[in-house]
Amino acid sequence: MAFARCIAKFTKNYFLPDSSRSISITATRNIKEIREVKENNTTIIEGIVKPHPKEHLMLKSCDNGACPLCSAGVNVKHTDVLILKQFVRSDGCMLPRRITGLCNIQQKRVGIMVTMAHRAGLMGTLKPKNCRMDPKKRRDWRKYNTYYDETTIKQSYY
Amino acid sequence: MSIVRRSQQWGTFARMWHVFDATWQDPYQSSQIIAKYLLGRHKPISHPMNRCGDHVVVINSSEIALRGDEWQMRVYFHHDTYHGGASWTKAWELHKKDPTMIMKKAVYRALGNNLTRHQAYARLHVFLDDKIPLEIQQNLSSQIKQLRPVPQRLDQISPEELENFPQIVKLPETYVLT
Repeated sequence: MAFARCIAKFTKNYFLPDSSRSISITATRNIKEIREVKENNTTIIEGIVKPHPKEHLMLKSCDNGACPLCSAGVNVKHTDVLILKQFVRSDGCMLPRRITGLCNIQQKRVGIMVTMAHRAGLMGTLKPKNCRMDPKKRRDWRKYNTYYDETTIKQSYY
Repeated sequence: MSIVRRSQQWGTFARMWHVFDATWQDPYQSSQIIAKYLLGRHKPISHPMNRCGDHVVVINSSEIALRGDEWQMRVYFHHDTYHGGASWTKAWELHKKDPTMIMKKAVYRALGNNLTRHQAYARLHVFLDDKIPLEIQQNLSSQIKQLRPVPQRLDQISPEELENFPQIVKLPETYVLT
């Protein structure tokens, strides 16, 4: 009985294309939303680029060509995890410069400060899954609190 | 004399008890501040011939933070006067053995090398956590400000604050974060 149900499910998923598929062969990216609008006898199917969910929280961009961090005018420290979080992937890796749009110096600075925050154990949620989330569970000196000095970063404007 | 000036005068001439929370504080930087209070240098009547130092209670000394790689690089030297009796203990090993020791040694050094050091050092009370004996707790009347703000971990921040924080980076439209 279970086997028959399995076959039925397989047929439904793969041979009847009009049913909604839960499996896709390529990676789903969800950049565009497919919208179906019916007007009288015409059906319009269009792909619309969805707006960013945090569009309303975006800072105003400058016209003078400065990078987003320079134009924001904030002195970022390695403890500002809410800012640094925006420059990393979900596993804590730094995004490349062509994606972040930062200037050369700020990209280097942010990259170093992300490393500092990871070492200080401040970004435990942004780690690969097999890592220890809690810095207190590390070994030897790594479990003790460590802070870093931003003046030791070579890259700076002044 | 107004009641504010009067209490100021009491505070100056009496031995006050200050509390210092060492959570995420550098012991070597904060010991400079603590030494000032222990020697009475913060008072207008301060003078080398005048004994006006206060008591300082340091709590959470097990939660101190050292800079960069100092846990491995800073070394405490001891010699037991015998041949080959020199020993070098790394800061993290000393902290593992006694979580109050680094704080005590830092303040002892910051007090300077003269005869007032021992009396001032006797007024320092270091505790590894926030559990203080009641007779000391009843004396406390002032708090010393921390040098560095205690950093907030990402998993300690509330989801509302995470959601509503301003966005600096605008990623390209076709780029999807993994």
